[in-house]
Amino acid sequence: MIRKLVRTALSSTSHQVHVAEDGKRCLALIDEVRPDVVFSDVMMPEMDGFAVADAMHESADLAHIPIVFMTASVQREQIEQCFRHGAAGHLAKPFTMSELRARVAQFFKS
Amino acid sequence: MRKLPRSLRFYVAASTLYAAVVFFAVQFIYTFQLTQSGILVAQRDSGNVLSSIQIVSFIVWLGISLIAAAVMHRLATALAGARSAEVEAKSAGEQKEQELGSIFGLSAAIAGPLDLDQIGGYFAAAIRGALPADMTLALIVYDDVLEAFRTVAADGPRADRFRQKSYSTAELPAVVRTRVIDHRQSLLLADDKAHADTWKKVVEELPVLATAKSFAALPLVSRERLVGALLLIGEGVDDLIADKVQLPSIMGQYVAGSIHSALSVKEAEARAEREALVNRIAQRARASLDPGEILRGTVDELAKVLDVSRALVCTGATEDNLAVTYEWDAAGVAPVGIGAKHLPIARLSARLGRTVIVTDIRKDRRFTDPRTAQDVVSLDVIAAAATPIRVGGQLAGALSFSQVDRSREWTADDVRLIEAVAQELRVAITAAEAFERQRAAVVELERLNRAKSDFVSIVSHEFRTPLTGIQGFSEMMASEDLTLDEMREYAGDINKDAHRLNRMITEMLDLDKMESGRMQLNRERLDLNAVITEAADRVRPNAPQHPVSLRLDPLVGEMNGDRDKLVQVMVNLLSNAVKYSPNGGEIVVSTRAEGDAAHIVVRDHGMGIPHAALETIFERYGRVESPATRHIQGTGLGLPIVRQIVQLHGGTVWAESTVGEGSVFHITLPRAAAGAVMADAAS
Repeated sequence: MIRKLVRTALSSTSHQVHVAEDGKRCLALIDEVRPDVVFSDVMMPEMDGFAVADAMHESADLAHIPIVFMTASVQREQIEQCFRHGAAGHLAKPFTMSELRARVAQFFKS
Repeated sequence: MRKLPRSLRFYVAASTLYAAVVFFAVQFIYTFQLTQSGILVAQRDSGNVLSSIQIVSFIVWLGISLIAAAVMHRLATALAGARSAEVEAKSAGEQKEQELGSIFGLSAAIAGPLDLDQIGGYFAAAIRGALPADMTLALIVYDDVLEAFRTVAADGPRADRFRQKSYSTAELPAVVRTRVIDHRQSLLLADDKAHADTWKKVVEELPVLATAKSFAALPLVSRERLVGALLLIGEGVDDLIADKVQLPSIMGQYVAGSIHSALSVKEAEARAEREALVNRIAQRARASLDPGEILRGTVDELAKVLDVSRALVCTGATEDNLAVTYEWDAAGVAPVGIGAKHLPIARLSARLGRTVIVTDIRKDRRFTDPRTAQDVVSLDVIAAAATPIRVGGQLAGALSFSQVDRSREWTADDVRLIEAVAQELRVAITAAEAFERQRAAVVELERLNRAKSDFVSIVSHEFRTPLTGIQGFSEMMASEDLTLDEMREYAGDINKDAHRLNRMITEMLDLDKMESGRMQLNRERLDLNAVITEAADRVRPNAPQHPVSLRLDPLVGEMNGDRDKLVQVMVNLLSNAVKYSPNGGEIVVSTRAEGDAAHIVVRDHGMGIPHAALETIFERYGRVESPATRHIQGTGLGLPIVRQIVQLHGGTVWAESTVGEGSVFHITLPRAAAGAVMADAAS
């Protein structure tokens, strides 16, 4: 549902959107398309968001790609955890579409 | 006839002589003067008149003398009587003075000391002088601690038989008891023959009197309180008449006040000592929350204070279950051993629900029954005191102290002490148990609290995800140009998310209702197999990779239950089986009739449940948290709801699993007596 929402919300922008349904496929997709920015859930089947982030940082080719976590938690602990895993940003659910677009726009300023 | 005093005789003689001299002198002068003046007094023959005058006057003189002598004699006699009375009065005064002196001496002596024996000594010495040397005296004082009369001082030939002895009220002769103790009057048996009947009885009851001839018992009363008695034993008849016991009696009143004070001080001291001990015990009980430690410290201390050979703490909820759980033995005393159950005295106290004291078990009628006697002989105990320990009205054990070396007169103070300590012990044990319960409750609360906060984060995630969808799609619908199809699609997505939210809220409220007993079942006749089929049909469309096969026993047949709730149970179990089998796999539901019960088994080939979690998964928010399950949506309420519904139906649910191979959930539901069992389960 969130995947569909994000894809729909960003489809009206000029960005190309790719989605993956679990952690493993997500990592494969990142490796394949080399996106400008990754928006990821933390809780995902097969491989959670933190594992994906860790894998990206270990790979020389992918380490530079920023990753933004979308979490349902507003607990400080989990938000801190996001940044410990090298997150470039954090998006708390429920978020508005304009918020999402603004966050995406951040990464294309320069 | 008393002889006249010499002075009187002398006086009579002198006055007679004087009368004669005066008479002759007068006669001579008359005669001479008359002759000188020429009047010749007629000679004797012619002097009749004159001589008759002379004779008369002589007689008158003589009479006056005699009267005077008689008066003098009377006076002298009176004087002599008065003088002798004065002498007598003087000697009596001296004796009184002496008595008073001894009384003052005694009161001065006893004003100082508060020691009973010292007071007794002074008293004996003070009255000794007033009594015949062969008389025995004994001062007995009522000792509140002993609850008996104790000999404080004794003197005389029979004194040795009084020393170091105490007499309970019952041991004193009946006549002493009623007259002296009860009515506080003196008892005087001045002559053994005159009071033969009484005497015989008194001697029987107080053998020390044998061969004595007289006996007195004087009460010592101070401020309305009988503090003791003075016993006097005379070897001679009439040694003890009222007059002779007067001084001892008066002195007794003096000494009674001092004895009273001494007793009060002693009692206060004993009370203070006992309170100090009980306080120490209570303090230790407060300082420690380990019942074992409280027990050990308390019992050791009490055993030493009581100077017993052995102290036992027995525990057990019934008289027959009492067993030794703690033992203290004096040096050289053989222990009975932890776990020993041969405890006739502790058991008797438990049965009677009060303290039992045994002065000498060999003479105790309660233990002379041949069977128990055998028991007792094997005990090596001679004297014992035991009190039950009750916690909240229930027998918890007994406290037993024993003497293996000697018989023992347990004092009322000993008993009070043992009971006070047993009281403190039960308070300590209760407090420690309460603390233990409290701590367990706190641990449980902490666990629940953690579970709750975990739940908050789970729920917040579960709620926020559909909310994000609702918010996002509705935002897009409102602000963007969308085609009608897109609009419809998004509206459908919003609707799905709203349903999901609703389902979660309903589950939470349902569980709350069930857990607080507010959930009512809508019972009806239903076919359990049909319920299972319906649930399977609902789950199948959402689980294309999980074939659900049913192996239903037609013998299960109809039962009484809430159709919707039972469908919910099966749906929950089946969706779990689907959710936790991410790699697919067959799910098998089978039913079997087992007597009055229906047995349902749901088997999957999923990830399985760790052994430690097989119970907790049925608890609220008790979901297994692991990386493997993190992404699986769930509120942690599905299985708690299953268990609540099954229990409301009077059934049971449990799980078996091998991690990595799959899980099996079992449900048994009573078919026939569902109503009765349900009432049971609900209570």
